[in-house]
Amino acid sequence: MLLGILVAIAAIVVLALVAMIMYTAVTKHKSAYKKKPKKQEINIEREKSEEEKKEEASVPYKNLQTRFKAIGIFVAACFSILGVKIFSMQVLSGDKYTKESSANATTSLKTPAPRGNIFDRKGECIVKNRSSLTVLAEGDVVYDNDVLSRLSVVLGLPYNIIKKRIQDQSFGAQNRKVVASDVTQMQAAYISEHSLAFNGINIESRTVRDYPYGALAAHVVGYTGSVSDQELMEVKEGQNIEAGDVVGKSGVEAQYNSVLSGDHGERIVVSDADGNIVSVKSEIQPTKGSDVYLTIDAHVQYLADKLLAESIAPKGMIGTGTGSAGAAVVIDIKDGSVIALANYPTFKPGIFTNGISQDTWNLYNTEESYYPLMNRAISGSYPPASTFKAFTGLAGLKYHYAKDDSRWNCTGSWDGWNSGYVQQCWMKSGHGDINFRRGIVESCDVVFYEIGKLFYDNKASIGEEAMQNEIKKFNFGKLTGIDLDGEEMGRVPTPQWKSEHFKDVPTEASWVGGDTTNMAIGQGYVLVTPIQLAVAYASLATKKLIVPHVFKEVKNDKGAAVAKKEPEEAGTLDVDAELLDKINDALHGVATENASVANAFQALNISAAAKTGTAEVAGKRDFAWTACYGPFENPRYAISVVIEEGGGGADTATPMAAKLLDASIKAESGQYEEEIKFIAGSSGKSVKLAQASSSRQN
Amino acid sequence: MKNDSLLNRLKSTGSAYLHRSKVDPIQNRTRYIFFLYLFSAAIILFGLIIVFSAVQNNEDYEFSRQLICVLIGIVLMIIVSRFDYKVLSNMVIPLIIINIILIMSPHLPFIGVHVKGASSWIRLGIQIQPGEFAKITVILLAASVVSKYGGHLDDSKEYVKTLALLLIPFICIMTQPDLGTGLVYLFIAAIALVAGGARLKYLLITLAVFVILFLIILGIDELTKTINENGEVEYHFLKNYQRERLFIFLNPESDASGSGYNLRQAQIAVGSGGFFGKGLMHGTQAALKFLPEAPTDFIFCVLAEETGFVGVALLLVLYIGLILTSIRIAFSAEDLFGKLLVWCCVGMWVFQIFQNIGMCCGVMPITGIPLPFISYGSSFMIVNCVMLGLIGSVAINGISYKRKRIRYGATR
Repeated sequence: MLLGILVAIAAIVVLALVAMIMYTAVTKHKSAYKKKPKKQEINIEREKSEEEKKEEASVPYKNLQTRFKAIGIFVAACFSILGVKIFSMQVLSGDKYTKESSANATTSLKTPAPRGNIFDRKGECIVKNRSSLTVLAEGDVVYDNDVLSRLSVVLGLPYNIIKKRIQDQSFGAQNRKVVASDVTQMQAAYISEHSLAFNGINIESRTVRDYPYGALAAHVVGYTGSVSDQELMEVKEGQNIEAGDVVGKSGVEAQYNSVLSGDHGERIVVSDADGNIVSVKSEIQPTKGSDVYLTIDAHVQYLADKLLAESIAPKGMIGTGTGSAGAAVVIDIKDGSVIALANYPTFKPGIFTNGISQDTWNLYNTEESYYPLMNRAISGSYPPASTFKAFTGLAGLKYHYAKDDSRWNCTGSWDGWNSGYVQQCWMKSGHGDINFRRGIVESCDVVFYEIGKLFYDNKASIGEEAMQNEIKKFNFGKLTGIDLDGEEMGRVPTPQWKSEHFKDVPTEASWVGGDTTNMAIGQGYVLVTPIQLAVAYASLATKKLIVPHVFKEVKNDKGAAVAKKEPEEAGTLDVDAELLDKINDALHGVATENASVANAFQALNISAAAKTGTAEVAGKRDFAWTACYGPFENPRYAISVVIEEGGGGADTATPMAAKLLDASIKAESGQYEEEIKFIAGSSGKSVKLAQASSSRQN
Repeated sequence: MKNDSLLNRLKSTGSAYLHRSKVDPIQNRTRYIFFLYLFSAAIILFGLIIVFSAVQNNEDYEFSRQLICVLIGIVLMIIVSRFDYKVLSNMVIPLIIINIILIMSPHLPFIGVHVKGASSWIRLGIQIQPGEFAKITVILLAASVVSKYGGHLDDSKEYVKTLALLLIPFICIMTQPDLGTGLVYLFIAAIALVAGGARLKYLLITLAVFVILFLIILGIDELTKTINENGEVEYHFLKNYQRERLFIFLNPESDASGSGYNLRQAQIAVGSGGFFGKGLMHGTQAALKFLPEAPTDFIFCVLAEETGFVGVALLLVLYIGLILTSIRIAFSAEDLFGKLLVWCCVGMWVFQIFQNIGMCCGVMPITGIPLPFISYGSSFMIVNCVMLGLIGSVAINGISYKRKRIRYGATR
């Protein structure tokens, strides 16, 4: 800086010297000239009387000399201003302007990095990349009818569709628009060769997501899309996301986006004011994202996806089978690893690869399609029905409202409140004289009405929420903490909740005995998600609380695991082990003694603990539930299956749960051999379901 | 008293005075012409080098065309300098007529060309800008009108008459409209009046009237402004783009894409030149099209960017040399017409240099006024060469060898 100023001062001095030398050179006789007229003036003044006035006028305009000088000073001032200003700009602030100039000229272009692949626990690739030839158009091509019609001919797309795609502003007006993806080599070559006829059209080979098994585990892996403006604004520190990047939008793709997305490559280019690249200064290749291994077992997952699809939409259309939608969850009870998490209806994540079409998007958001994008396994809240009896029964045991020698008489209906409003047992003929264990095995509602009534009657001594507190020990009513977005909490109703929920309807707002008896059979206001139920059944088996997760580990390109999922405990299960054994024994009884359930397990020769449920939902056919774990002697997997409008739990959900348990056990030892095939996404179509059957079966 | 001091001064410098008086004035005249041509040749050469660099990668401009213009200009300059300017001193009426015809010619059918909302061009085989050529006739008109009063423009009626005559070219050019060139005409007229000895009182009154008129126009604009359907404010006298250009240099950051963008890019170009510049052909601002109109209006930015402060200083020194030489000729010229002719040319150059360079570094508003001898453009290059010829003619024909001899005699 000091040097600069010194140089500048030197420059000014030199400049001044040069100017002076030149000035003297030009006006070498300045003084002589200047004085001559003055001398003359004297002469003229002297001779004034003698000379004529004309003569005086012709003398060198004495009166104008000051004017000339004034103009000279003005000129000097102008040049001084310019000199000083330019000196300050070029010499004093030169660095600042130089920076701005190079910022103008050089642009850093980020090249997108390929995303990491997603594998199942054994290394079966579920999501990978492929290259796709993409036709891109500049925004102003939309006004060029010739180019549009040529594109229409070459790509075989209607003129109006192409025009609409170029007009689409959803990814920003500045970005080039995708006209067509996955064009053939022939089409791409034709357009490239006739670039003059396709002004503003470019062909790019883009790396896009590829899903070899279609919709397999769609809700787990999620889908990707171009980063939105909002996401760009919310980019966290350390994350490197540029406009136009492809980012995970849901599922594992979103949850582990920072792992899956690699590091951008960077090209420093010299570009002109119109953005044309003049030359490339340097280039850094992008680094592919890391590969993510999931806890999912692709074989079990495939079976889950397949069974749900076959049951609900055997002909690709919802309503042609049993149920309208469903979800199945298989978790490893030891560490909460999710072995399979399936939903139906489902979607192919590939439809989002080049931006989901508006038509598909609209279709998937209609009631008719039963919302295939919804991850029912973690965000579907259902009344758990009889599967809940394991937990309410446990509460009854704890408060000694149910004991080994307790006996009830079931007549098929129950009016313990003497209100005239009769609550039914599912078996209308009644179970007759029944003890607690049989009450669970046969799923006798009256037993649980009685237990619930005792809770309500004793609320003064044990508290209003004694049953709820026992239930909440299994983490019902809160998030399980699975590493997927969109999880719902479900609900364990309490008097406090009810008064808030119905604060606009004061007549409904107070907790009544019927609410407790309803909750005792898993109806009423209780809501659980399939993942919650699977986790709770795992807790029954292990006597521990677990956090489910789908992430297993990250491997770098050399195959070394660089990050692993650390086992996580959700806390200890504060339940008497002796009582738990009684419940487990009863659940084992369901899977061995209750004929309608036991058949499914015995057919596969598995020893399990299970409970079915048939949830009543207003205005709909019953929802079928099965929750189970097995093998009973050495529990490994917990499973929950729900089929919306699937009717009786034992009929539809139980065989599925049994098959999944069998497959999980076999897959662990590598005995499960069924080939993994392509899973189709939902067509989004449905027909009306067969009329609801009014009676619950069990 | 006065004579005494003068005599004392004469005595004290007597020997030098006597020594200098021996120099033949004919040598003086030759020296003026030599320096006049030397400086102008240097500037033109410098300009050609910069234009050569600036027109690279720009298909809209051809270096060869500029070169041909310079050659035509030099031939014209020599012809004009051989011609005795004095025959033009009494041609007020023909000059007015020529001015009006020239400046109004773009309005004529067939040859007039209307581009970007202005009728400033005519097409006669090649496209030329008569408003530029009219600068010569405006100078001649101003010099001949004012010189008639012999340095004593003291009568108010005569002053108003002169002012009216001098305003004719300005009014004509405003019909195109071309405010930039109009301001040049006004400045020429002002120089002629100041140098020609109009009474200071009248000059100040005229200046005041102009300032008040400008304020009134702004005031009326403010009162009559309307808001169009796009929600933009519209003014009637000064159009929005003119207001922007006029006021943007006060706050260039306020509009980063319009006029502010041009100014910003111009300043970056000038500033990034640093002390030694980026080297000829190595400027990025113009080559990458960040600078608009680089070879014409913003040529100075190219020069400053590529040759740095060294090149700018050289250019300014050359300009100062040319102007000082011209001023010396103005002092030496014996007739008022000759003096005013030179002063008006000098005034026009200074105005254009100050306006153009000032615009590039943000001390003046943005107007489309080219840089003398440097900017790409045929009309203005030829005009400048003709002016050089006129000054040369004043040096050759206006400084009389004979009369000086007589005066020397008188002083002896």
